Amino acid sequence: MSPTENDAGAPAGRAAAPKLDEEQFGSLFQACAADLHGYVISLLGDRAAAQDITSLAFERLYRSRARLDSRRGSARAWLFAIARNAALDELRRRRRERAVLSTEEPAEALSAVDLLVDAERRATVRAALRSLPLRDREIVLLKFHGQLSNAELARAMGISESNAGTRLHRALTRLRENCAGAAPEREVA
Amino acid sequence: MRVIPFPADQPLPGEREWLAELESALSGEAQGAAAAGVRELREDVRSLAPEMDPEFAAQLAGRLAAGSVHGAGPQRRRRTRLARLRTHRRGALGGALASAAVLVAVLLLAGSGGPSTAVPAQRNRASETAGSNAASSGVKGFSSSPGEGAKLGEEAQAAPSAQTSAPSASASAPAGAAAPGRVQQLGASVTLSTAAEDVQAVADQVGALSVRLGGYVQSSQVQTQAHGNSEGTLALRLPSTRLGAALAAIGRLAPVRAENQSLQDITGSYEAARRQLSDAVAERSALLRALAAATEEGQIDSLRERLAQARSAITRAQGELDAVSRRAGTAEVEVTILGDAHASNTGEGLTVHRALRDAGRVLLVTLAAILILAAALIPLALLAACLLAASRAARRRQRERALDPS
Repeated sequence: MSPTENDAGAPAGRAAAPKLDEEQFGSLFQACAADLHGYVISLLGDRAAAQDITSLAFERLYRSRARLDSRRGSARAWLFAIARNAALDELRRRRRERAVLSTEEPAEALSAVDLLVDAERRATVRAALRSLPLRDREIVLLKFHGQLSNAELARAMGISESNAGTRLHRALTRLRENCAGAAPEREVA
Repeated sequence: MRVIPFPADQPLPGEREWLAELESALSGEAQGAAAAGVRELREDVRSLAPEMDPEFAAQLAGRLAAGSVHGAGPQRRRRTRLARLRTHRRGALGGALASAAVLVAVLLLAGSGGPSTAVPAQRNRASETAGSNAASSGVKGFSSSPGEGAKLGEEAQAAPSAQTSAPSASASAPAGAAAPGRVQQLGASVTLSTAAEDVQAVADQVGALSVRLGGYVQSSQVQTQAHGNSEGTLALRLPSTRLGAALAAIGRLAPVRAENQSLQDITGSYEAARRQLSDAVAERSALLRALAAATEEGQIDSLRERLAQARSAITRAQGELDAVSRRAGTAEVEVTILGDAHASNTGEGLTVHRALRDAGRVLLVTLAAILILAAALIPLALLAACLLAASRAARRRQRERALDPS
């Protein structure tokens, strides 16, 4: 079973694997919380939802830490798989409620980015990323924020590794093309 | 404009190689402009995300450190409730399956009738055969279970004066077939089952029992084998009045596998012998009276000769009457002792061997019940697994559909 297919969205590994103790869980939180939050907020564009899903992912991982199977993926991968499921459920819920998915970055994020020295380059990347289909954008965000290997990426998405590689290849190729296409406009502008 | 380098700027040698290059670039192993460009792109993408609110991070860290993350928003609480509901649903389903399994097991065990049903059935078959044989030979036979036989015999003992015309046989008639004024001969056959090495001991006990009850062993044959089945056959002659007690006592020596009792009405024979005796006695009395009145030598000699014949007739008639009376007063009991592998399966008393066999039976019945349960539950489990897999696949598709363009 894939870690994405648990009813509660929690990892469903076997108990034979080494368990995640409190200290390891604390270290995992310190290492992953910002990345996880960044992945979710980049996907949903909603800080409240991102905080909610971040809390939920850590809670579910904490509850199921005794069943964590490190042979089937790192704890980081499990955490991002849980968050991905919750984020996709949130997207579905918004779609059902006909809420318009915000593609705007939070104002505070824009201002933070604008303050950076190489804001132009990042604006190009942002524009390229925003122009990607949501499916491609999601895999890029999962790859870069989660810092997952291709195998872990595949497990988190519930697909084969080769399929994940193909999709990642396609998404990054489009991102590169969009970056190349967006740069002149930016330059012209 | 700053062109972002990419490992696929050149024609890709292949997707697998491209992915390997990407991995090594992201991990920092690969050096060069292309690898640095990939790492830069990653950092650019990551930096686009707003930073986590420090206050939220601190609260979440505190909750996790306390082992509880309760207090999140209503959306999370709703999900938690749904998760609990799913957990309860799974628990209820498991409980229902377990209850069904227990119910089926109980029904199966109740329907099996216990481990000792084979013996009464065998006993009944033996009784029916004996009954049909008795009917064809004109003997009023009847059959019953060992317990019933003992009961009938005891009832006969309790009413010894029911048949006044033949005191010697009256008390021996089984209550169910006894009729007042009738003389009846009783018989029984018992088949005992015991371990092969115990056949001789049981035969000795049967013989001692017959003597103790006032009877005797008319014939006995015991065959024992070191390996294989052993068998013993004893023909007993017991007082009819003690037949019931004898059968009950024999039944306590070893498990009874079959028992048959028979009854034969010999009233006609008894009456004929009694009339013959009476006639002979009357004739002798008449001859004695005639002798007292005789005066002539020739007549006296003739009467004395006839008196001698009359005495002989009386003796013969008395002998016949005694024989019939003995038949009525003595019950023929044939005891067969079988020593085989099935000997210790049934009966009273507790031995290690019997306990092991009973335990084996219980395990066998349990295994059978488990097999039947498995036959019923495995298809259900497979169906449930298929439904679960389909449900998960559908849920995954629905999730992934959230990424499709709306």
